[in-house]
Amino acid sequence: MNKNLVSFLVFAVGLAVFHNAIFPIFTPKETGWLLNRYVYFLVFVAYLIIVNIALRLKPSISMNALFVWLLGFYFYKSILYPPIPWTLFITYMVMWSIGCFLYISQDAETFREFRKPIVKTIVGEYKFAQVVVMTAMPILVGFATYNTIYPSYQEPVELRTVHPAPPATTKVHGKTYPLESTNNPFRIDEQDNYKDSFPFLDADKHEYMKYVTEGGTIFFENCHYCHGDQLNGLGMFSHAFNPTPANFIDPGTIAMLQESFLFWRVSKGGPGLPNESTPWSSAMPAWEEHLKTDEIWKVILFEYWYTGWHPRTFGTEGSTADSRGGE
Amino acid sequence: MLGKNKRSVTAFLSGLVLTAVVYLAPGMVGDAIAAEAFAEQAFAEEAFAKEVLAEQPGLSAVDDGAPEIEWGQDVFYKDWEGNPLKGPVSGAPAPELGPTDYNNYEFAPSRMLIWVANQQHLYFGSFVLAVPIFCMIIEFIGVRTKRDDPIMSVKYDRLAHDLMKISLTAYSWTAILGGILLFTFITLFPGFFKYLAGIFRPVMHVYALMFLAESGVLYVYYYGWDRMSQDPFLKWIHCSLAVLLNLIGTILMYLANSWATFMQAPGGIDSEGRFLGNIWHVIHSTLWNPVGVHRILGNIVFGGGIVGAYAAYHYLTAKTEEDRAHYDWVCYVAMFICIFGLIPLPFAGYWLMKEVYAFRQQMGITLMGGIMAWLFIIQAVMIGLLFFAANSYLHNGMARVKGSHRYMKYCKYMVLLLIVCFTMWMTPHTIVMTPAELKLMGGAQHPIVGHFGVMSAKNTAVNLMITTTILCFILYQRANKKIMVPWATVGNCWIAAIFVGAAINIIFLGVYGYFLPANQRVGLSVPQVCTTLTTLFAGTAINISMFKDSESYGDIQWGSQSKVGTYAVFLLAISFTWLMGLMGYIRSSVRLFWHVTEVVRDNSVDAYTLTIGEAGKMLTFNTLFVWVQFVVVFWVGSLTGKKAPAEAPSGVPVPAQQQQ
Repeated sequence: MNKNLVSFLVFAVGLAVFHNAIFPIFTPKETGWLLNRYVYFLVFVAYLIIVNIALRLKPSISMNALFVWLLGFYFYKSILYPPIPWTLFITYMVMWSIGCFLYISQDAETFREFRKPIVKTIVGEYKFAQVVVMTAMPILVGFATYNTIYPSYQEPVELRTVHPAPPATTKVHGKTYPLESTNNPFRIDEQDNYKDSFPFLDADKHEYMKYVTEGGTIFFENCHYCHGDQLNGLGMFSHAFNPTPANFIDPGTIAMLQESFLFWRVSKGGPGLPNESTPWSSAMPAWEEHLKTDEIWKVILFEYWYTGWHPRTFGTEGSTADSRGGE
Repeated sequence: MLGKNKRSVTAFLSGLVLTAVVYLAPGMVGDAIAAEAFAEQAFAEEAFAKEVLAEQPGLSAVDDGAPEIEWGQDVFYKDWEGNPLKGPVSGAPAPELGPTDYNNYEFAPSRMLIWVANQQHLYFGSFVLAVPIFCMIIEFIGVRTKRDDPIMSVKYDRLAHDLMKISLTAYSWTAILGGILLFTFITLFPGFFKYLAGIFRPVMHVYALMFLAESGVLYVYYYGWDRMSQDPFLKWIHCSLAVLLNLIGTILMYLANSWATFMQAPGGIDSEGRFLGNIWHVIHSTLWNPVGVHRILGNIVFGGGIVGAYAAYHYLTAKTEEDRAHYDWVCYVAMFICIFGLIPLPFAGYWLMKEVYAFRQQMGITLMGGIMAWLFIIQAVMIGLLFFAANSYLHNGMARVKGSHRYMKYCKYMVLLLIVCFTMWMTPHTIVMTPAELKLMGGAQHPIVGHFGVMSAKNTAVNLMITTTILCFILYQRANKKIMVPWATVGNCWIAAIFVGAAINIIFLGVYGYFLPANQRVGLSVPQVCTTLTTLFAGTAINISMFKDSESYGDIQWGSQSKVGTYAVFLLAISFTWLMGLMGYIRSSVRLFWHVTEVVRDNSVDAYTLTIGEAGKMLTFNTLFVWVQFVVVFWVGSLTGKKAPAEAPSGVPVPAQQQQ
């Protein structure tokens, strides 16, 4: 029997068995270090390698490339969780396909070997393969056409700018704050000094923790409904919004920004965003209408303390300063 | 050389390193020490200006009835105490431009016309600045290898001469495009040009004179080639002319850069746009050095790509084995230089972005997180393509070297590493998705691939990609060599240790970055870059040292490069052309609605930011347009090579002394 065919059967049958019988074992509700989907994927790859070596199948490079490509597809489609958006899936698969092409075209010999079955199929030496391909291709094209023209009722995707460039200055409660040089007036100390302290419990012991506590109080009175009680953007109202509220735990949000940027965003809310950020797509109110300046600064202080992130600074100076903006 | 003998490899690498030192080191080192030196110098200059003005009758502030000297505060430069540097106001304030300051044609917006004119000039400018660098290196190698390998020496000399021939045609073309750019600027943006010319008046004159000098040296260099090749001393003079030509070319580029960097990050003027009397401050604004270094490296890659594509085309269409072998070799030389420029290019880009952030955080955010962020994602894709193309070329090139079977088996693992790194490199922080997908994902950031959206992951990925390319290059170098030095095992262990250690260090620093504040995290890119450069210099040095007394499995079989490897050269050249246009557009359009950032506002009807699609169309048009021109230039350059030897027509009597 053709070794390539055996190898393909090892892959196809193995995938069916693994996916339907073994995959559920590796995806319990409480995932552990061993029982998780990524370990399952590695086990499946190990199975393929071991069986191919044990049976001395030595599949051709075109077959190898096909296996590698399918493994990539399987990983991005079924293993990676939560599912990635379609645009990202396409991007990853394009890259994976380029990688497969680089693999088969690493020298003239491998490329010739890769082309051989394709050419033989086209010229008719592989009669059965030719029939299968020539039958499957119109069906696939028809299916793709059907899928393309079938009406879709999804909201269109939009390129929203999440971190727009802030203005040079912002005016809050009658005072103008230059964003590049304004710092949080309540950051009177390095927050790492209070890693083991707790808001409310230690509010009376340290002035810094007093401000953090006040900020936390304001946060839980006003912000946590959307941004979540763990500041992860999963508050009780969060699922009603598009885009969802910011996740402060993520290293790509407040960890990358100056406190003055947050001050501007909190004060001006969604309506204060520039056009590039589609202000109509943000539900955050302009908090300057509801909070005092000091309260906004304290909330920001709390957000950094809680998440453990440090505000972004430019240059060597620390972020502690006593600037309160200028007129 | 370059596969022929090891002495040539050493000479070639020495040449490249020397070139890097000559062109890049002054900028980098200068910038590093400039901070301290500048503060003192600025203070001294200010004091000196005050003294001189005080001594001049009629200018002194204390003279009765004399006009008082007005002092302005520099928008960028600061004195040693950190206060804005003061300078005597020496120019008119920036004009507030109105409708009468702009002209336009009916058929296209002025902004598009100036964009096309500028981009075409820059493309050709890059090429004509890059080719003399190649010629200088290649001619130098030819001189150095003359004693050991006279045949290769002649071949190198001929190659450098041929490249200069093409460059000569391109040079005139560049000048014409420069004229078109100038006329477009004057006629369509007269108000702004007047302001810019008022400030850069002396620079523009020096630029014109330098252009004259460049032309003079170029013509002597090219037309004196054959005559100066006959005498060893004259040949060295000729090589020195190549150095001079490149120095003048570099100065020209730096002078022209100063106009663009001034527009993006001005210095030497006050907030009203009034010139403060120090032309050096205007030229040497904060982005001048990083842009200069970035452009030199970019020019080398661009020039290498174009020469490579030219050779690749001739390789694919060659009729004889000799031609195939020749163009395969030329393609290799061009790609070698191109990859040499490509490896440090991302680092220069990081330096430039760092300076942009330092100038205005707002500008940095607009670029990396704001309205331009999607263009940066496209840039990431293009850079990935460049590395793929370079590696594909190296893999295919290695396959034609006898003895390479020992290393070919590693290629697939290097490809895997490249793909994994590239996946990290180009995963966006903000993903385009439908609301349904967003809900399915449970938030705006994916819990796993979302971690790839920040700079820690991206720096790690790009450094690993570069390290992989370096490793591939090292394997290529030794593909046909049987290492004979007694310390071969130790040497191999060192190379392995350097690369494994580098990978561990880069990954460790990348992961560590997630636990640090953002400002400290940025600093981690420096040790990551140093690690990568260590693999380049230490790895290559050890590798070459091991070639001593090595035995050869056989020469490189020139003319047997695979078609895929050759097409990779086209991919690299076209991608880089498009990428250059893209990054130029990003750098320029980040000013948004300013001609000169925060000083001269763009009040024309074109003061808008293009959509990504429209920008993409313009970039593609510019790329296609310039390639059409390159084809024409190469065709013109090849006309002189097609001269058939003069033969006497039949029937005409041949003088006896000419009969053989």
